[in-house]
Amino acid sequence: MNTKLLSLNLASRTVNSGSNKVTLLDKIDLQVNEGEFISLMGPSGSGKSTLLNCIGMLDSFTGGGYTFLGEPVHSMKEKNRSKLYKEYIGFVFQAYHLIDELTVLENIETPLLYKNIKSSERKALVADMLDRFNIVGKKDLFPSQLSGGQQQLVGIARALISKPRLILADEPTGNLNSKQGEEIMELFSELNKEGVTIIQATHSESNAAYASRIIHLLDGKIISE
Amino acid sequence: MFKNYFKIAIRTLLKHKGYSFLNIFGLAVGITCASLIFLWVEDELSFNTNFDKQDQVFYVPTNQQYEGEWRTFYSTPGPLAQDLKNEIPGIIRATRSSPQESLFTVGDNAIIRRGRYVDADFLEIFSLNFIEGDRANAFNNPEAIVLTQEVAEQLFGKEEKALGKIVRINDKDNYSVTGVIENLPKNITFKFDWVAPFERYQEGEDWMQFYGNNFSDTFVELSPEVDFATVDAKVRQLVQQKDENSNTYAFLHSIKDWHLRSKFEGGKIIGGRISYIQLFIIVAFVILLIACINFMNLSTARSERRANEVGVRKAMGSSRGRLIAQFISEAVILSSIATLVSLILLAILLPQFNQIIGKNLTLGLSQPLHIISLVGVAIICGLLAGLYPAFYLSSFKPVEVLKGLKITENSAVFIRKGLVVGQFTISIVFIITTILVYQQIQHAKSRELGLDKDQLLSMPIDEDFIPNFDLVQQELIRTGSVENATLCNSELLSGGNNGSGYRWKGGTDTEDVLISSRNVTESFFETTGMEIIEGRGFSTNVEADSSNVMISESLAKMMGDTDPIGNIIIRGDNEMTVIGVVKDYVYGNMYEASDPVLFMHFPSYARHMFIKTKEGVPLDKALADIEAIMNKHNPAYPFEYTFIDEAFDAKFKNEQLIGELSQIFAILAIFISCLGLFGLATYTAEKRRKEIGVRKVLGASITAIVKLLSKDFLKLVLISIVIAIPIAWYYIQNWLQDYSYRIDINWWVFIIAGLLAIVIAMFTVSFQAIRAAIANPAKSLKTE
Repeated sequence: MNTKLLSLNLASRTVNSGSNKVTLLDKIDLQVNEGEFISLMGPSGSGKSTLLNCIGMLDSFTGGGYTFLGEPVHSMKEKNRSKLYKEYIGFVFQAYHLIDELTVLENIETPLLYKNIKSSERKALVADMLDRFNIVGKKDLFPSQLSGGQQQLVGIARALISKPRLILADEPTGNLNSKQGEEIMELFSELNKEGVTIIQATHSESNAAYASRIIHLLDGKIISE
Repeated sequence: MFKNYFKIAIRTLLKHKGYSFLNIFGLAVGITCASLIFLWVEDELSFNTNFDKQDQVFYVPTNQQYEGEWRTFYSTPGPLAQDLKNEIPGIIRATRSSPQESLFTVGDNAIIRRGRYVDADFLEIFSLNFIEGDRANAFNNPEAIVLTQEVAEQLFGKEEKALGKIVRINDKDNYSVTGVIENLPKNITFKFDWVAPFERYQEGEDWMQFYGNNFSDTFVELSPEVDFATVDAKVRQLVQQKDENSNTYAFLHSIKDWHLRSKFEGGKIIGGRISYIQLFIIVAFVILLIACINFMNLSTARSERRANEVGVRKAMGSSRGRLIAQFISEAVILSSIATLVSLILLAILLPQFNQIIGKNLTLGLSQPLHIISLVGVAIICGLLAGLYPAFYLSSFKPVEVLKGLKITENSAVFIRKGLVVGQFTISIVFIITTILVYQQIQHAKSRELGLDKDQLLSMPIDEDFIPNFDLVQQELIRTGSVENATLCNSELLSGGNNGSGYRWKGGTDTEDVLISSRNVTESFFETTGMEIIEGRGFSTNVEADSSNVMISESLAKMMGDTDPIGNIIIRGDNEMTVIGVVKDYVYGNMYEASDPVLFMHFPSYARHMFIKTKEGVPLDKALADIEAIMNKHNPAYPFEYTFIDEAFDAKFKNEQLIGELSQIFAILAIFISCLGLFGLATYTAEKRRKEIGVRKVLGASITAIVKLLSKDFLKLVLISIVIAIPIAWYYIQNWLQDYSYRIDINWWVFIIAGLLAIVIAMFTVSFQAIRAAIANPAKSLKTE
């Protein structure tokens, strides 16, 4: 399974800070095949998160080319772009970013609402997911009633519910203790084995080691692979 | 999807109970206030619209020229109605109508009721609904009288039929009941309890049948096919065709405009009550806006709390449109809750409001219009309040908010401050106008009246009583409770009879001055406290005074430099000698200089008796003494009286109402604005907790911190004051133009209003500021 999922061709991201032009990502070349598990490493400010956001289309490159599943993202209209990532990409955040006012079940359900999936189908999908993550008993609790590890579990479940081809995880274990972190990494490995492509940003060597490929960033450049 | 929005909305509301309360309560108060205004407006607009022929029925007022100016009166010459009907095609019905207060006696049952002498067409024109008898035959004989159901029941009881029964009027004439009509609805401009044929009214009064005297109301009905303008043009010519020398022309005035647009100047309609209606509709929307601003401001100020959710939802694939839809639905849900709360408030407040406006409004929730309006208000408020925050919140970039970056909210801060300034500007305008309206009313009320209105009673009398007056007066004074008594042909403070065509020896061009005439007894001036400034009063001998008159000061001035005493006033063949001059007194319009007055010693035309009670005598004793004497000399009449000072107060009813309403709105506007300010202050204090902690650790005093937190708000209020003053000044200046006797606007009113706004705003803000300032810095710093 060596299909190409995405490729970056001299992709850059600059921002204007006052009168200075700051380069966050500098001419990144990167090919990602389906089924890969990639760890992005590097110190704070090296551009890990920016790269993830740009790949995830929450942010966009300001130069170079970005192709996702053969489609040129850089020249796409906002609407099509959002359709694309809604369909194929799931996000996992360091701070979980669950919606406080929604229960576990409702949080997991949210992406399906935005894909206009029918209620009965939504219920079935969410039930499967709760089952798979062993959190059926917690489905009516609110995020504040869960531990950090449990919240991140829900975050991953929510990312998976729309059956994405790619999961982008920005420091998914950053707010967890090592044991909880390990569990999440085990889960990622499992998902990867099932065919989901994963790109994670991390500080931790041990977490990075779960990946099949490690990329080091410094000052917006890939320095080694 | 909506279910999801709804859930989120309710949970967000419950989670932040304090803010939810501020939002809902503020909005509910605003909606309540607007609903009260709308109910009032609905009632005002409904006036005179319940006649079947409201589009075809017209009042016929006259414009009369005096001293080069056109003045509008509802009084018309007696023959006008008939001539309009006979000579102008398109006018299919016409009636005269003169109001009269009469005593009704059936057996021992005696009541005084107001009614109208009218022509038979009246019954058709106003489509009176007959319960007994019928329209076509009710006025077949001149002894007929038609009663409202209420009066019929009062006279004959609920069970008895009134038709065919005899009623004794004014203890003198018998009338036979030829019909009973349904009670009139409350919202019509004229009230009457009975109608009787006009023929009876004009018996022996030949002057009523000629042009030259204006006294009766005239109403006409137009055929539905005719063009109003054509008919009106003909109506305008008719009086002059009949009476070449007339200074008068008649015109048509729709009864639909009667209540709301009946203020005339220079012979033209220049508005009327409608301007207050329009003003209050604007006020209603302004108050709703103030309430909605609270929602906008609290939403954008607290946007950080929602920013994360926005980021997550966007990352989960939500489009901006969906987020906008979500936030607007939240606002609509909130405003719907506020609307429900306002229903409760309305139920509680409506009785009090009714008392203030002197009406009997009901919520009328069974009326589709009211339900639609409530739903409409809920949706409009939701949209108004939710639109801006929805666009603002949904504009957040997920990358930024999810990283926890500070949202740059420059534009939001600016708009928020602008909105607060808007709220306070409106509130301050309300405060200033309230003070000035109050001042104007007090100004007019405390005006030098030229008479003493206190301890003065007025009671209706009829001509049979007049011969007894001297005896009654003596007996009244003998009780020790009464200072004096007098007779007069008109009420003391009302316009009464007037006319023109007066000249005086040596004077020129004075025939077109409109002069009021009063027929009084010699005790009139002493009883009413009017001051004779030149010459003498009338003697006790009516015969000897038959060609003597007294005049008011303004009339004396018109005569020029010559000594008025002994001067001769001429009207037609009549020559009258001026024997005394009375200081001007105020009657009719309390805000204008009243027309000159001519007093004649001629009590036989009297219809009112005024009694001045003695100072220091308890009112009940005085009344009991008077009643005993009146029962003895006027036994047929029930003992009924009014107080002149109350009649005086009633003259200010309209302005008083405007004053009270603007006071209520001022309080509500500032209250709602302060709810918003309180919310913002709370939020600011919360947001700056850490800063305050650091400052305290560095040695800042509590006062310094309170100052720091209040300063920004104070600035906003100051800006509001600067904006509000010219607006209020412009508006009130315009309003005062309606009154020729008016206050000068004092600058200190603006200072007071400004200070009041500052004090209230600072009180609101300092509560939170002090709380933040006295908080333990160790705690606030630890949580960071």
